[in-house]
Amino acid sequence: MSITYTHRHVLEDHITGFETRPNANHLSVFRRPAIAYVLAHAGHESDVDLALDMADGLSKRICGPAEWLAVSQEMTPDNLMRSLTSIAGAAVLDDSDGRVLMRLDGPHARKILAKCVAVDLHPDAFALDASAPMLIAHVSGNLARTAEDAFELIVQRSTAGTVFEEIKEMGREFALTAGFA
Amino acid sequence: MASLITCPHCGVRPKEEFTVRGDALPQRPASHAPDEAWHAYVYLRDNVKGVIFEHWHHVGGCRRFLVVERDNVSHAVLSVTDAALFRRPDVPGEDAQASAGKGLA
Repeated sequence: MSITYTHRHVLEDHITGFETRPNANHLSVFRRPAIAYVLAHAGHESDVDLALDMADGLSKRICGPAEWLAVSQEMTPDNLMRSLTSIAGAAVLDDSDGRVLMRLDGPHARKILAKCVAVDLHPDAFALDASAPMLIAHVSGNLARTAEDAFELIVQRSTAGTVFEEIKEMGREFALTAGFA
Repeated sequence: MASLITCPHCGVRPKEEFTVRGDALPQRPASHAPDEAWHAYVYLRDNVKGVIFEHWHHVGGCRRFLVVERDNVSHAVLSVTDAALFRRPDVPGEDAQASAGKGLA
C-alpha cells in the first residue's frame, strides 16, 4: 500500500485568520520554493561558482567558501536538482523541504532587519544581489538582497517559526503584514 | 572582548556570531609522544596579557574556523585568518613550559 503525504507548510499555523491586504511593508512566505545545497569539490570552486551564475531560473546564495544555496521559485525541486547535477565538480543536495524562504519588502525593510541582523545593510555596503550567511533573530540563516528594498531570507525549517514571529514583532511599528506569497 | 571581527569570508561581523575555541598556538604532538607532551598540549595554557592567537568558530556565518589575533588589553583585533591557511609564527611568544612541552613531542 502506498502512502500519499499531503504537503503542509511549516508556517501554516503561524499564518492564520482572514487574509489581510498586504501593506507597503510585507513579509511573504513562499509555499514551495526549490532550494538546493551546492558544494564544490576542491579545485572546482570557481567553475561551480560560474556555472551557478550562468544557470537559468535560479538564484545563487553564498553560504561560505565553496558552499552555496541555489534557490528557484519557478522550478520544482526535481527540475532544480536535474539542472544542478549536470555541473561538473559540484555536490548537490535537495533541501527544499528543510528550509523556508521568506521575502521582506517595503520602504522600511532595512529598519525592520536592523533589529534582527547585525550586518550593515546600507545599499552601498550590501549591494543588489548580494547574499551572506548571518544570524537572523539569533538564528543562523541566509539573507539576500533581491531588489532595491527587498530581502529574501532562508532559514532552517525548524527555526522558521521563531524567525517569522520575531520579524513580525519587529515590523509591528511599521505595520508589517505577513502571508503566503 | 573584541566586538567586531572581520571574517575573511563574510566581512565585518559581531562577536555574537562566533564561538571562541581557545588558544590556536599549541602544536599537536605526534601520537607516540610521551604523556608529558600530551598533558602539556591538552591542559597547560599560558595566561598571556597582550597579543593572543585564538580559534574562533564562525557558527552564525560561514561555519569556518578562524584564527583571530587580538590584544586582550586594548581589545584591538590585529588579524583574522582562515584556520586552514594559518601558519604559526616562528617564535610564538612561548614560555619555558610551552617550549618544554614542544621539546618532548
